[in-house]
Amino acid sequence: MKKHTTLLSAAIAGAMLLAGCGKKDDTLNLFVWTEYVPQAVLDKFTEETGIKVAMETYSSNEEMTQKLFAGGGNYDLIQPSEYTVEALIKDNYLQPLDHAKIPNLKNLAPEFREMPFDPGNKYSVPWLSGFVGITYNAETIPGPVVGYSDVFTANNAGRIVTLDDSRELVSWAMTASGLPINDVTDENLEKIKPLLQDWMSKIKVFDSDSPKTSLSNGDVDIGVIWSGEGAILFNQNPKFQWVLPAEGFHMFIDSLAIPKTAKNKEMAEEFINFILRPDIGKMILDEFPYYSPNAEARKLLSDAERNNPASYPPGLDITKALLFKDVGAQGSKVDELITSLKVQ
Amino acid sequence: MLGWLLLFVVVPTLMLVVISFCERDSLGRVIFTFSTENYVRAFDWMWLKILGISVWYAFLTTVICLLLGYPVAYFIGRSSERVRGLLIMLVMIPFWTSFLVRTYAWISILSQEGLLNAALTSMRIVSEPIGFLYTPFAVVLGLVYNFLPFMILPIYTSVEKLDNSLIEAAYDLGARPARVFGQIVLPLTQPGIAAGILLVFVPAIAMFAITTLMGGGTNPTIGEVIQNQFTKARNQPFGAALGVLLLVIFIFSLWLSTKFRRAEDQ
Repeated sequence: MKKHTTLLSAAIAGAMLLAGCGKKDDTLNLFVWTEYVPQAVLDKFTEETGIKVAMETYSSNEEMTQKLFAGGGNYDLIQPSEYTVEALIKDNYLQPLDHAKIPNLKNLAPEFREMPFDPGNKYSVPWLSGFVGITYNAETIPGPVVGYSDVFTANNAGRIVTLDDSRELVSWAMTASGLPINDVTDENLEKIKPLLQDWMSKIKVFDSDSPKTSLSNGDVDIGVIWSGEGAILFNQNPKFQWVLPAEGFHMFIDSLAIPKTAKNKEMAEEFINFILRPDIGKMILDEFPYYSPNAEARKLLSDAERNNPASYPPGLDITKALLFKDVGAQGSKVDELITSLKVQ
Repeated sequence: MLGWLLLFVVVPTLMLVVISFCERDSLGRVIFTFSTENYVRAFDWMWLKILGISVWYAFLTTVICLLLGYPVAYFIGRSSERVRGLLIMLVMIPFWTSFLVRTYAWISILSQEGLLNAALTSMRIVSEPIGFLYTPFAVVLGLVYNFLPFMILPIYTSVEKLDNSLIEAAYDLGARPARVFGQIVLPLTQPGIAAGILLVFVPAIAMFAITTLMGGGTNPTIGEVIQNQFTKARNQPFGAALGVLLLVIFIFSLWLSTKFRRAEDQ
């Protein structure tokens, strides 16, 4: 009998724990990238609409999808990158947006309305976008720095930071070898292996979360990092120069989308419409100086902000930007290749 | 008690074992079938080498913690009762902040433009700042710093229980300090040492956040690799298989240490 009561009480305790996870329906539940959504924007949304906002964060698309599929939280809005939007649409996991509820869509720059992963913004609305490029300390690195081949030189060995992201590393090596970045086949991985091996032996730090830290602390002098991080470094000290790799550059677009499990679709659409307002777009850019898909918000930027070479690279031709496509299960091979090269 | 064990130990472990025999789809969702492929893959030299590196780091950490921690624990355990409480509190205080915060503190101490290099260059001990951070040295330093209290506390408990009359008797019979230590103190504090080794060695193998932050991610440890499988690599079943192997190693070392202790008792 006693055994039964303990089991029962354990079950009740477990049920209570689970019940605690469920949130009330009057709250908009966001599941977004770390260091990407200013609290001030959420506060202003609550102030204007009375809708409470709860935010949870992740640090990779895969982390987000794993958690989404596990079914723990009831998320109303997620913030996947382009290749994950593509995969989630293919999987029927996103709800189509009601454009009548999002009149501010007109503020989006035209090039962001016809992105190949979601033409016409049927399922997703770009939040911010940016590039992966080269930042270097002009006081310690003699120029010119033009592309990847200037980063991974013998002279720079042990002075390099890069993103700790297998897909990124592989795509740079593919670009430098003249291969299309989305042809992640076994043969192509084999082809770029020697080049990657050489590069990776010269990298001192792998860091996706805050690659600017090792640069500003002086532990490394050159890096291949997110443009927002490069923009912050440039603002700190203009000695940190920014270059888009001449061999080709990767552009990422993180969009807001509504998963099919969402409970509050209308609130989510109201939020999307809210962040498309020019003044709110500017608030986001104040904290995270990435490349804005919002043409009206861009007009509110100061000259200094617009002239930051990492946020708005001079002479940018956006049609040349390389976009990631979903590589499916091949991602595991990519990860294994990078891990094996790290171990060597 | 049984309910708690069931809920928090047995069920999660069983889930891990079940998933380790499954497959996954292209988005990383677990597909429930039966496959031993994950285990076949886990025995590739690459993963074993990563496991080897992790065990080596954990071994170094344990040895250094023992060498640093034993004298400290002995000193605390043999000091007067009033001082003892204060000293133990000093050992515990760092636990009041998150280990991540403390690791970031180490980063600002060890970086090229950090506190240590600023002190060394201003005192003209070195002319150029030294690259302490993002090296194996930094990894082991971070691990030792984090796990040292886990070595000190169990040894302290053993030292506290030492029977003074035995030590006095040894001296009365003409033993020198080294012999008293080797034949009286060490055997009597052996349970504390064994517990300390286990508490440091086992979690140190699977540690991941400290090793990534302090080592710059250049030398992946088994903890990092498993975490990666559950997130970026979209391969939970393989991560689960690696986790099960790690669990087997833990159970083995636990069994080894209890067997060792039993042999001592007899």
